[in-house]
Amino acid sequence: MDKNTSVMESSLDGYASARHRSRLGKRMLSHYQLYLLLLPCIVFFIIFSYIPMAGLVLAFKEYQFNKGIFGSPWIGLTYFEMFFQDPQSLKIIRNTLVISGMKVFFAMPFPIILALMFNEVRHSKLRNVFQGIVYLPHFFSWVIVVGMMQRILAPDTGLVNQIIQWFGGDGSTFFLMEESAFHPMMFWSYIWKDIGWNSIIYYAAIVGINPALYEAAKIDGANKWRQMWHITLPGIRATIIVLFILSLGNILSAGFDQIYLLKTPGNMNVSEILDTYIIYMGLESGQFGFGTAIGMMQGIVGLFLVLTVNKVAKKWFQSSLW
Amino acid sequence: MSHNRMYVWSKFMALTLVISMLMTACGTKEEPSAQDGGASDKPAAGKPSTWIADRKIKGLVFMGSDVTEGMNPEIAAKLKEMTGIELELQAVGHDGSQKALAAGLAAGDLPDFIAYYLNHSGRPEMEMINKAAREEMFHDLAPLLKNTTIYKKYTEEGYLPLDTQYGVMFRPEFNGSAYVAHLNVAREGGYEVRKYVSGPYIRKDIADALGVDPRTITTSEQLYELAKKIKAGNFKDKNGKEVYPIGPTVWGGIDRSGLYNDLVWTGFNGEGFGRGKDGKILHESQTDYGMKRVEFVQKLLKEKLMHPEYYSMEENRAKEGVLSDSFAIVGDMHNYVMENKDNRYIPIGPLNTVDGPYRMTSTFKGGYGAWSIPTTTQHPEDIVKLADFLASREGKLLWKYGLEGRDYDLDAKGNPVPKKEVLDLLEKDPVKAKELGFAGVGNDWGWYLGGTDLNDLADFGEASYGESVNKDMNKGPLDIAEYWHYDEKKKQIDLRDGYAPLAFIGEFTKGSMLTMALDKYKESLIRAYYAKGMMEAKSIMDAAAAQLKTAGLEDYIKLLEQKDQDPKTKLIF
Repeated sequence: MDKNTSVMESSLDGYASARHRSRLGKRMLSHYQLYLLLLPCIVFFIIFSYIPMAGLVLAFKEYQFNKGIFGSPWIGLTYFEMFFQDPQSLKIIRNTLVISGMKVFFAMPFPIILALMFNEVRHSKLRNVFQGIVYLPHFFSWVIVVGMMQRILAPDTGLVNQIIQWFGGDGSTFFLMEESAFHPMMFWSYIWKDIGWNSIIYYAAIVGINPALYEAAKIDGANKWRQMWHITLPGIRATIIVLFILSLGNILSAGFDQIYLLKTPGNMNVSEILDTYIIYMGLESGQFGFGTAIGMMQGIVGLFLVLTVNKVAKKWFQSSLW
Repeated sequence: MSHNRMYVWSKFMALTLVISMLMTACGTKEEPSAQDGGASDKPAAGKPSTWIADRKIKGLVFMGSDVTEGMNPEIAAKLKEMTGIELELQAVGHDGSQKALAAGLAAGDLPDFIAYYLNHSGRPEMEMINKAAREEMFHDLAPLLKNTTIYKKYTEEGYLPLDTQYGVMFRPEFNGSAYVAHLNVAREGGYEVRKYVSGPYIRKDIADALGVDPRTITTSEQLYELAKKIKAGNFKDKNGKEVYPIGPTVWGGIDRSGLYNDLVWTGFNGEGFGRGKDGKILHESQTDYGMKRVEFVQKLLKEKLMHPEYYSMEENRAKEGVLSDSFAIVGDMHNYVMENKDNRYIPIGPLNTVDGPYRMTSTFKGGYGAWSIPTTTQHPEDIVKLADFLASREGKLLWKYGLEGRDYDLDAKGNPVPKKEVLDLLEKDPVKAKELGFAGVGNDWGWYLGGTDLNDLADFGEASYGESVNKDMNKGPLDIAEYWHYDEKKKQIDLRDGYAPLAFIGEFTKGSMLTMALDKYKESLIRAYYAKGMMEAKSIMDAAAAQLKTAGLEDYIKLLEQKDQDPKTKLIF
């Protein structure tokens, strides 16, 4: 390619880009009503999501009431050092990863299975009733759910212990004080509460699959299992991957409300997580910088995981967030 | 409407919506009202001697659900008439006052004054308040207090308890300045209005049936034997169900020491620090009392003598259990709790302590709550004047007794005599009575600034509201106090003045780590109570002790020894 051709191409590129910008401007102007409707949403995110992000600087500052966030003196990585010097920190990180790992990896199949089951219920009214029943727990607060669990799992008087007694057992197990009972209690209550709600997106994705594919599979002699395996699951693969990537963003946040309420001195060894630690050290002790530093660490790890897994998913499954 | 016009209208509406949302998001904050001052600052001629200034004062109280925000309009009008002040109180935080205070200080958007819990300088709020004071968030009260009548006493030698004087108010680091006014300071040392009898209580009918005088139970081992007798007695509750020999405290699952006082290295305020026989300061983790207690509780739990949810039961369930007589022994309560109005439960013991036989102890003067004035307040002197008025007899008469003629009359000595109809209403409908808006009926609006220099008997001729009219008002609690020989015990009282061991945690480098480790120690104890056996319990307690050591417990004890040498920072154990 000679020099002249190159100059010509670059000028053509510039022209095309200018034309594109001008077309975009015109298109925006002609659909200004839609952009106007979008504006409150953008303003909302700027005010409540992006401007507060500037507060992350607090993780590197010694906050002084009279100087505010930006006027306070810099202290470098002191808070991060403080956290990792705390002998509790490794245990807290481990607990957080175990709990969120259980929620991200082990809980993931349950709403998918439920969505597949809903898809097999042909009677729409019956399906609506089932869906209503399984969505309902999502609207209960964790305070109510844990309150119910306390009653059901109470020693001597709780339903579970009554059943154990009925079968000849002792019936005095205090599950909420048992370290070994914490993970099952946490996991199954999480599944019970949110399985229905989490299945909505999967079910919507299943409904979006072209019915002609099922017809063709039937003609080819595929039974229900085959149809599910070869049509339904590949049909919602992109949705599964996207939701999985998004959930990885919260890998260092194991869900404050549930864990805080289920935490007892009996299970504190496995129930102390980063979120409860932040509340204790950051808010109750007024160490906002320390709390911000740990919160920032959670966010950065989440962002890193989302970016990595997104890239991997794009390469291996041709499906990703962007 | 034509299509075109609808189109125009829809665009107009969308634009209005967008603009209004933007305007809402960008709204400006209201300025504190005490800054409105202006022309009406100086009292006009003919105003009463109590006149301060014609202005509105806003206070933010970080005391959670204990605060009543609303004022009775007639009382508010009287306050305005007497002082020119229109007082508006707001409460923040339901059960997280400390968190709310931290957030409030960080936001810096504070009204004319703030009030908060503060019973001693070791309380977590103190550290935040000191930080705020160092960072010029508060007005210096010292020069303002000099011009007052009641609060001036705070500057007199020997009036304030040691901790209030050097720890809370006039901290050496502030070189004579004071940024906090401590509340609830009694006029004389050892002053107490109520005769509290706290500790475990037993159902009277059960004690009678077993032929036991609960006052003779003075050791945890005797309590254990009593619990075994109760279990063998198959006593029933109001629903016909078998009772639990030992139930939780009336306030729910809390680990209180009264049940096994002789096994707790409790120290002052239950902070766990005490002096050993050789005079050295020790934390409980450095003694064997923790394990002794674990062994005792495990025995109670294993033999089903103690309710399995003793340490975790919610307050409402515990109260329900007490009301249903489901617990033969209630872990902890006192003689003024509503659930025992009929004295069905009577006190046990008191149990001996690790130092020997029980002896009533109290602080020289207590403090509970405090207030400060943010530097954003333009007329701090008016807040101090208002506080001083509310702390005076005249002010207290208004916020403790209400309005003369409406709520009380004055007797020949000038003391208030509450009206019978008010006392009747208080008995019949306490919620309605509270609307009358004064402390006697449950609205403490004046306490947050004026609740100090306490001596109601001297001021109003009665130790507490209504006693002079209705002699039986506190009959139940006083009967229990008499049964417990409160007055005799009070004569032998050990009155102490000094600092709580955790008062210096703020100046300790690893303070927050040590605080967390101390909390973990208490949680570990409960975990050890429920451990499978003593081996497991031992490893739990060893780990908690090791964590305390890593968090600098030994260095902190050295600091305590050092502080204790100075007469101004003497410790109480």
